[in-house]
Amino acid sequence: MTAEETTLLDADLAVAMPVEDGPAEPRIYELGYHIIPTVKEEDVEKIVSGIRSIIESAGDGSSTGGKAAFIAEGAPSLIRLAYPMSALAVEGEKRVEYDRGYFGWIKFESAVSTASVLMEKLKSDANILRFGIFRTVREDTRAKMKPPTLREVKRTDTIKSSPKRAPTEESAVPVSEEDLEKALRDITTE
Amino acid sequence: MSTNILTQNDIQHVDYKDVDLLKQFINPHGRVVGRKRTGLTSKQQRAVEAAVKRARFLGLLPYVAR
Repeated sequence: MTAEETTLLDADLAVAMPVEDGPAEPRIYELGYHIIPTVKEEDVEKIVSGIRSIIESAGDGSSTGGKAAFIAEGAPSLIRLAYPMSALAVEGEKRVEYDRGYFGWIKFESAVSTASVLMEKLKSDANILRFGIFRTVREDTRAKMKPPTLREVKRTDTIKSSPKRAPTEESAVPVSEEDLEKALRDITTE
Repeated sequence: MSTNILTQNDIQHVDYKDVDLLKQFINPHGRVVGRKRTGLTSKQQRAVEAAVKRARFLGLLPYVAR
């Protein structure tokens, strides 16, 4: 292979390979996080606003992307974890096991660099038990399941039991106490 | 009759937060059920697997149960 051919091949490869250093388009991410359960309920909101400000500030400062935009958010709520998780305690070096946490999520649009900045900041935050940043789509991804009991059942004559009610009401009225007592006496004498 | 839950309910995206949906794709031990039993397309099965793994990492589903 001549030198000319190799350069041509390199040029082809360069075209085929995606350009990674170019201006990155904003991507849609979802951050799911657990806040440690020892945090007071009124302080949870502060931590969430801290996360939001990290996303906003990182979005502003990046050279590639503009301002980060929030798409959707799920407020943190205390849930029981499927398995115990351990994390370094807020103060001290001991690891503490937790069986519950405030789970919340934020969907946002930002540059790639924002996500990496956010990841670094959250890693060093002792109040965050665990988190995950995933790429997603702008649309709502929550499944809207039909209730499983909703089945088309043919409602035929089994439902038409309403005429039955009329004769029972009529028959209930004429039975007097005397007749009842008489009937009871007959049963007891037998 | 098809057993494909996702197609039946017209679900386009599988979200890791939909624990009740994902629980239908794991067995009592917490393992992902195979395609033969879920009846999903390969694309849907991959999406379910990814969602289950995310849910496990975030403590929404167990890695092992029982």
